[in-house]
Order: sequence, then structure tokens, then C-alpha cells
Amino acid sequence: MNIPYLTLILFLPVAGAIVVALLPKPEQKTIRSVALVFTLLSFFLSIGVFLGFDRSSAAGTMQFEEKLSWLPAIGSAYHLGVDGISLVMMILTTLIGVLTILVSWKVTSRPREYFIWLLVLETSILGVFTSVDLIMFFIFWEVELVPMYFLISIWGTGRKEYSALKYVIYTITGSALMLAGILTLYFSVGTMDMAVIAQTDLSKATTIIPLAGIFVLLLIGFAIKLPVFPLHTWLPDAHTDAPTAVSVVLAGVLLKMGGYGMIRFNVGFFPSVAEDAAPILMALAVVNVLYGAAITLRQTDLKRLIAYSSVSHMGLVLLGVFALTPVSLTGATLQMFNHGVVTGLLFAMVGLVYDKTHNRNLGKLGGLARQMPIVVVVFSIAGLASLGLPGTSGFAAEFLVFVGSFTSTTVTSARVLTLLSAFGIVLTAGYILWMLQRVFYGPPKEEYNRVPDADRVEMLCIFSFVAVIGLIGIYPAILTNVIQVGTRSLTVLVGAP
Amino acid sequence: MNLWLLAPELSLFFTAVVVLLLGLASSRRGIVIGVSLLGVLVSFVFAAFLWSGTPQATFNGMLSVDQFAVFFKFIVLAALVLVILASADYDYKVEQVRAEYFTLILISAVGLMLLSSARELITIYVSLEMSSISLYVLAGFLRDRRSSEAGLKYLLLGSVASATLLYGMSFVYGLTGKTELGQIASAIQSLSLSGLLDNPALLLGLVLVAGGFGFKISSFPFQMWVPDVYEGAPTPITGYLSVASKAAGFAAVMRIFYDAFGAPSWLGQNWGLLFAGLSIATMTVGNIVATAQANIKRMMAYSSIAQAGYIMVGLAAVSMGQSVAPAARSALAFFLASYTLTNMGAFVAIIAFSNKTNSDLIVDYSGMGRRAPLLALGLTLCLVSLLGLPPTAGLIAKVYIFNAAVQQGLLWLVIVAVLNTVVSAYYYLRVVKLMWLGNPVSEEPVPSSAALRTALFLACAGILLLGIVPDLLVRLSETAGHSLL
Amino acid sequence: MTVGLQHYVVLSAILFSIGLYGTLGRRNAIVVLMGIELMLNAANISLVAFSRYLTPPALTGQVFALFVIVVAAAEAAVALAIIMTIYRNRRTIEVDKIDLMKW
Repeated sequence: MNIPYLTLILFLPVAGAIVVALLPKPEQKTIRSVALVFTLLSFFLSIGVFLGFDRSSAAGTMQFEEKLSWLPAIGSAYHLGVDGISLVMMILTTLIGVLTILVSWKVTSRPREYFIWLLVLETSILGVFTSVDLIMFFIFWEVELVPMYFLISIWGTGRKEYSALKYVIYTITGSALMLAGILTLYFSVGTMDMAVIAQTDLSKATTIIPLAGIFVLLLIGFAIKLPVFPLHTWLPDAHTDAPTAVSVVLAGVLLKMGGYGMIRFNVGFFPSVAEDAAPILMALAVVNVLYGAAITLRQTDLKRLIAYSSVSHMGLVLLGVFALTPVSLTGATLQMFNHGVVTGLLFAMVGLVYDKTHNRNLGKLGGLARQMPIVVVVFSIAGLASLGLPGTSGFAAEFLVFVGSFTSTTVTSARVLTLLSAFGIVLTAGYILWMLQRVFYGPPKEEYNRVPDADRVEMLCIFSFVAVIGLIGIYPAILTNVIQVGTRSLTVLVGAP
Repeated sequence: MNLWLLAPELSLFFTAVVVLLLGLASSRRGIVIGVSLLGVLVSFVFAAFLWSGTPQATFNGMLSVDQFAVFFKFIVLAALVLVILASADYDYKVEQVRAEYFTLILISAVGLMLLSSARELITIYVSLEMSSISLYVLAGFLRDRRSSEAGLKYLLLGSVASATLLYGMSFVYGLTGKTELGQIASAIQSLSLSGLLDNPALLLGLVLVAGGFGFKISSFPFQMWVPDVYEGAPTPITGYLSVASKAAGFAAVMRIFYDAFGAPSWLGQNWGLLFAGLSIATMTVGNIVATAQANIKRMMAYSSIAQAGYIMVGLAAVSMGQSVAPAARSALAFFLASYTLTNMGAFVAIIAFSNKTNSDLIVDYSGMGRRAPLLALGLTLCLVSLLGLPPTAGLIAKVYIFNAAVQQGLLWLVIVAVLNTVVSAYYYLRVVKLMWLGNPVSEEPVPSSAALRTALFLACAGILLLGIVPDLLVRLSETAGHSLL
Repeated sequence: MTVGLQHYVVLSAILFSIGLYGTLGRRNAIVVLMGIELMLNAANISLVAFSRYLTPPALTGQVFALFVIVVAAAEAAVALAIIMTIYRNRRTIEVDKIDLMKW
């Protein structure tokens, strides 16, 4: 009998949510343990899928496929499957899923609803990464809005309701256009199956509107999510006002839905259009990297600073995706994973610092190195990984992106653009080191003398992040092997070995 | 002539008479509601039998009993069950004349069910008026200032609309000499016109008929009565107006325009384009004005105008393409079914809240998540479904109807429609936000009766079920869409 | 000059227009109601005229008109009842003073 691994992975978190909902008057401890157990199960299963994934060159791209008839009237089916790229994203999601539960370990305000939304959120993101059917993809993409809206607007801080609504409006605009794009695509090709569409040469299909039109309809939704300048303005607000765990999920996996969508849809389905659009999008990527980094330098709020640094780092993903070489695409995928872990950790650390000092203002923090040594060490590791120090996952990912885009022959100005965005690394080093120095070094401040260091649960959580960062930094092939199985099928890739 | 084909309507009419007579003897709530529900059940069983039959026309072609008509009878009956349950709690306001209240609801349902079958101008007019006149009375039923004002406005504007419709029908009749839709179609084809402007009588007839029905389906520019009537009418009636009367109106529009004006293809293209344009105006006006409302019934009124705009996307898709589009008809049917459940569900929750708070102001929904978690959850689900987010029927309905429109080359219309849903997020989520994030005005819990809870549960279960396994109903609506005589 | 179809059609158009003006331009609810009756009767005239001149043996138009007359009577009865309640409530039947809810 075939065990439906993907279905299990996908619905375990929601099953956890249902259990939590049905518990009669549970205590906070019970709720969080249930949530942890279900996310752990999902994580272990995804590791199982990772180990069982066929990496040989003869292997099919989509593996672990499951297909059931669902809505034949519009050609849609319940169809799950993973290829190299979505597998990596799935593991990232289940990993972050476990860690967010640990990050939320001390949430006591309306814990039942909180953990339910968190678990539903995880399922929806997993659904985006494992769907092979366009409508399923779209539905999971939309599901994610509801938990995010509640999580930000109930458990957030600051102008939380404004930020939550802004987030929803931005995302829903993108996904609305995406729906139009998906339907147009469906009538051009006659199928909702992504794997089939990827094999079809769309330039020969008769489409209702020019291919570039469908390309743009789909791109906007992903560009908002990634986010691409100038559609990024929702991100700092949402990040800053969200509760810590949600910032971790947001930076860790939600942004990746945009990058994943671009690889799968824009590059995978429309290679020729992607080639034409690549110079513009790579230029936007450079703007993203430099503008993001420059504006990060001006931030004084710790959380906002990390948020803007995401804009800069996701620019590298955009660069790698539209350089359209196998190396750069592998790099972009790895960068998504890396950014997910590193920025996830950074947000978790900011959360820790804020919980203990009740302050996020760079001007008012300082000298914490004495008071909270463990936090300082981990924060520094995360910071260094963020600026791409060799030996961390950041280095492996950024290196691949730069090498891949520099050697791109599809895009004429690729070299200049790559060099320009490499300059972003310098700015990154600037703001990361400056931030570390402001928060942790300098004379210790009296008011923080009694501040406790990380406790056991927090240590478990942050050291897991560090372990992953180190693992990928030292042995990136563990992921790139798999990613290559996915990028192999993208037909455009010029200069493939 | 086979009376069995009319069994759903006849049994419901019989129930109405029984309820009215019962009112003379006793107007105890349990009896009146029990008998009404029983009548609906009987009618439902008859309709279910008709579903499995072959499509046929009866009474010399005046009524067509096909799956399309039966599907809309199901919709009307579902709305009827919900409105009867919803009125169970509300009817303390009409205690003296309780039996009359339910009788009128049943009679209007008979009219609507006939309307979904009618394929002849006289029948269409009479069944339309049969439902409308009952609804005029119901809208003014409370006899207080607001309700009677709603009744008067509904009546005056409704009568103007039906006079317009009638005048249009007289031109169609004058042009073709026929009143039966199929014969009208062949008469128009035999005129061998090459464009609408060739024949002013046809143009005038088409526009006037569209105007008359535009009122019924609350299309722009005939939407101005909706907010006032919805606000003033008894809330269960508001819900009923917003779903059943709209659904049957759409069924009739579908039938008239598709059957009588569907061919030659330029004619179909013409009115398709007319509805596409009206659709944009309707949804835009509905959504934009809804954002500014302070009264939830008014907000729901504008929201239902916007929803009518989405449904008209399907109407436009029916005729716009090169080929006939049963897919668009199925999508239209599915959308109306999902919309009926969703909107009725929302109104049931609104009734439950206002029974306690005696207010329809949106600000008074603040903190309801804590005072009545289940009611608030139900209302949230309904609003989310209206907005079209998963895992609800609303999303599937939107995808389905937009799918049909894209198939017919109406991508531009779909893009306008999806951008409109973005605007609607603002006002739907505002209510959701207030309920769950706002501070409660008081800590007092909001009680609700068993009837209301049942109605809300039925609606929510339907919304979720159709959202997760839509294929159940999609198959039925496919059959309905293909069966049109 | 003989009276032909076009005369009836023009007459009905004039009646319809007068009725429409009555419903949109007058304030008294009773007058509005009379306007509606005019519109309905305009439709009746055109139905009967079309029937008489275009499809002489068949009486469809006349039958249609009979139905319309019946429906119009029911409508008027309901309308007068509602106007009565309004009058009891506020002692006026001027439509533009019935503005509890903004239009």
C-alpha cells in the first residue's frame, strides 16, 4: 500500500489545529505540546520524503505524486507532488513550523486561537509548495491570508490592524490577478496540471491574450509576495507589527512563496518570455538589493531593520531566478532556504531581546554582551550568516547566485548587474555589524543588569537554527543535489553543462 | 397537460392556504412553522422527483420543467427553509398576524418557483407579480415607520419596473406576434436582420425588458431601491429578498435572453456586451458604496448589489462566446446556490445579534467574538465566503464563474471583477475585525434560539461542504446548465 | 383619415411617458400610483393594438391585457394599504418627506 506521505505532511498541522480546537478547556501547556507534536510529526515525515527522494538523473521530476479527482468541471484535481525545488521549500516550511511553535512557547494571550491559526498557516504554506494543480495552488495561496490577518491583528503590536489590512489588500490584489492568469493559462493549454504545462511549449499554443500578458498577470502576485521594489511597502509594516513567531514565518517561508512561484510559473512555463523580461527583472533585483540595504542602514528599530534587510536579500533571489542559468537558479533556491533560516533566526533573536528588555530601539539598547552572552553569540552567528560569511549557509547561497548570474549569457548586461548587486554585500556588512555593535557592545547599561539570558526552550530553538545554518554552510550539496533535480527540468537554462 | 409537473408549486400553494386557514384557529408559533416546513419538505420531494425526469415543456409550452428550472426551485426552497427558521425568532414582532406572514412568504416562493420555469411572456409577468406583490406586503409588514417606508419604496419602484418590463414585452410581442420564448426566437431569426439598429422595436423591447429585470436582480442603474428596502424591511425578509428573489430573477433573465434573444449570434453578442457593461458598473458601485456604510443591513445591501455584478459576469459569458456555453449557465447556477446559502447565513447571524442588541449598526458588533463566539464564527465564515476566500463555497463559485467567462474570451471583465473583490475585502473584513478585535460594549452574552442556530448551522455546513468537496453540487449544476430546453 | 396601428402605438407611447413623468416628477404617493396605472394601461393599449392589427384571429394580446388588469388591481390594493399605514404613522404621503432612510 502506498502511504500518502505528502497528504500526511500537508494535513498534520491542521489535524493538530482540530485537536486543539476540540480539547475541552485546555491549558496553555497542553495546547503548545499538541502543536509541537503535530508539527514535529510533519517535519519528520518531510525528512523521510527528503531521504526517499530519487536524486538520480533518470528520476522523474515530480515524485511522491498523489492524484484524486476533485473538481472535474474546471479540470482541477487534488494533485500533490514534489520536485527538487518544492521539496526544499517543504522541508524549510516544516522546520520553521516546528521552530515557530518553540518561539511561541510563552504566548499566553488567547493561546488556543493563536496555535490554531499558526497550525492552519503552516498547512496552507505547505499546500502552496506541494500542489501540482493550479487551482489547488491558488486555493492554498489564498488560505494563508486568513490566519495571517488574525495573527497580525490580534497578537501583533503597534499599528497592528493597519498592517494586517495592508498585508491582506496587497496579497489579495496580487492573487486576484493571479487567478485571472491561471484561468487564461488553463484555457490556453487545457490542463491545470503544472507538470504537464511545464512540458508544453506555450509559444506554440493559441492563447487568449499574448503570452507576455499571462506572464505579467502571474508575476504581479509573486512580485508582491517576494517582495519586489516598488511593491514591497507592505513588508516592513507587517513584519514590524507581527508577533515574533509570525515574523519568523513571514520572513522564513511566506516570502519564499513568491520566489517559488516565479521559478515554477514564470520561468518554468514561459521560458521565452522570461528571457525577454530578464533584463528588466534583474535590474529591479539590483534596485531591491541596493535600495533595501540602503534603507536598512537608516533604521533605528531592530525589527524594522531586519525587515528591510529581507527586501535586500530577496533581491538576490530575484537576481538568481532571472539570470536563468542552472547555477543561479540553484543559488536562488538555496538563498531562499538560507534566508528562511537566517532571517527566521534573526527575528527570533529580536523577539528574545525585546521580550527581555522591552525595547527594540537601537538608540536605547547597548552593552547587552555581558548580560546575555548566549543571545549575543547566536545573534552574531545569525548576523554573520546574513552577510554571507564563509562557513555559513549565507555564503554558499550568495556565492552560487553571484557565480550563476555573472556567467549568464542570456541577459546581456548580467555582469554589470551582478557586480552592482554584489555591492549590496558591503552595505549588508555595514548594517549588520553596526547593529551588533549598537545592541551588544559598548558600555553595559544599568537598567538591563537583571535581564535573564535565554532559557532552555529558547536555547533549543535557537541552537537548532544555528545547526542548520552550519550544516548548509559546510555541506551545501545536501540541498543543492536535490535542487538540481528540480532545475534540470526548466527548459530555458542556457549554458547548461 | 400533466399536473404532476406542477406538483412542487401546487403543494407549496396548498401549504400556504392551510397555514392561512390555521391562522383563523390558532396562530401558535410551533404549529405555523411546523406546517410550513412540512410543506416545503413535500414540495422538495416532488421537485426531487422532477429532477430525475426528462426535460419537457408543459401547458402548451408556457412552463418548462427541466433540470435548470428544478435547480432554481431547490435554491428557492433552501432559502425558504432558512427564512422560515430565521423568522421563528423574529416573529414576535408580528404576533397578531403570524399566519399571514408565513402564508405570504410561501406564496411569494410559489411565484418565484413558477418564474424559474416560465417560458412564455404572460406566465413570466404573472409569476413575477405573484412573488413581487407578496414581497411588497412583507417588506412593509412591521407597519412601523421604517418598514412601511421600505414597503412603499419597494412597491412604487417595483411597479414602475414591472410596467417598464410589460411595455417592453408588448414591443417584443408586437414585433413577433408570439409570446412563447422559442417562437419569439424563430420569429426574430426569420426577420433576417443584420444588426440591432435595423429594428428599433426590437432594440426598445430588449432594453425595456432588461431594465425591468435589472430592477429585480438589482443591476445598475436600478439598484437604488436596494439599500432602503433592505434596511427597512423585516430582517428575515431582507435575507429572502436578497437571495431567492434574486436567484429566480436571474433564472428568468437567463431564460428570456438566452431562449428568445440567443440567436442570431450578433444579437447574443449585443446583449452579452450590455450585461458585461452593466456588470462592471453594478459591482463597482456596490463595492465602493458598501465601504462607507455604518449599518450592517445597508452594507449587506450594497454587498448583494456587488454580488449581482459578479453573477452578471456569468450572464455575459452565456452569450458572448462563439459557441454555446453551458459551462457559463452551470457556473451561474452554482454561484447562485452558494450565494443563497452564504447570504442567508449572514442574515441569520445578523438577526440573532439584533434580537439582543436591537441595533443594526456595525459598531455594535464590536467584541461579539467574545459575547457570542459561535454566532460570530458563523458570520465570519459567511463574510469570508462572500469575499471568496477558501475553504468556502464562495471561492469555488467565483473561480467557476470567472473560469466560464475567461473561456468565452471575457478576460478583461474577469480582471475588473477580481480587482473588485479586493475592494470588497475592506468592508467584509472590517466587520470581522470588529467582532474579534473590538472591545465588547457589554460583557452580556448574546443568546440565540434553537431555530436560528439550526439555520446558521445549516448554512455554514453547506458553505464548508461546498468549499471542500464542491463536486457534489457542481455535478448537479452541470446537469442543470445542460438541460435548458 | 383612418385610425391605424401607428396611432395606437403613439397613443400608448404618450400615455407611458405621461405615466413615467408622474412617477418620477410628482410627490404625492397617490399621484405616483396613478402614474404607474397609466404606464400599465399604456402597455395594455399597445398589447391589444398589436394583437388586433398584427395577429387578428389570435387573442393573445387581449388575454395578456386582461391578466395585466387583474394584476394591476391587486397591486393598487396593496399600494393603498401601505400608503394608509404611512399616513397613520406620519400624517403625510408626500414621497420626499418619507425619507427616514436616505435614498
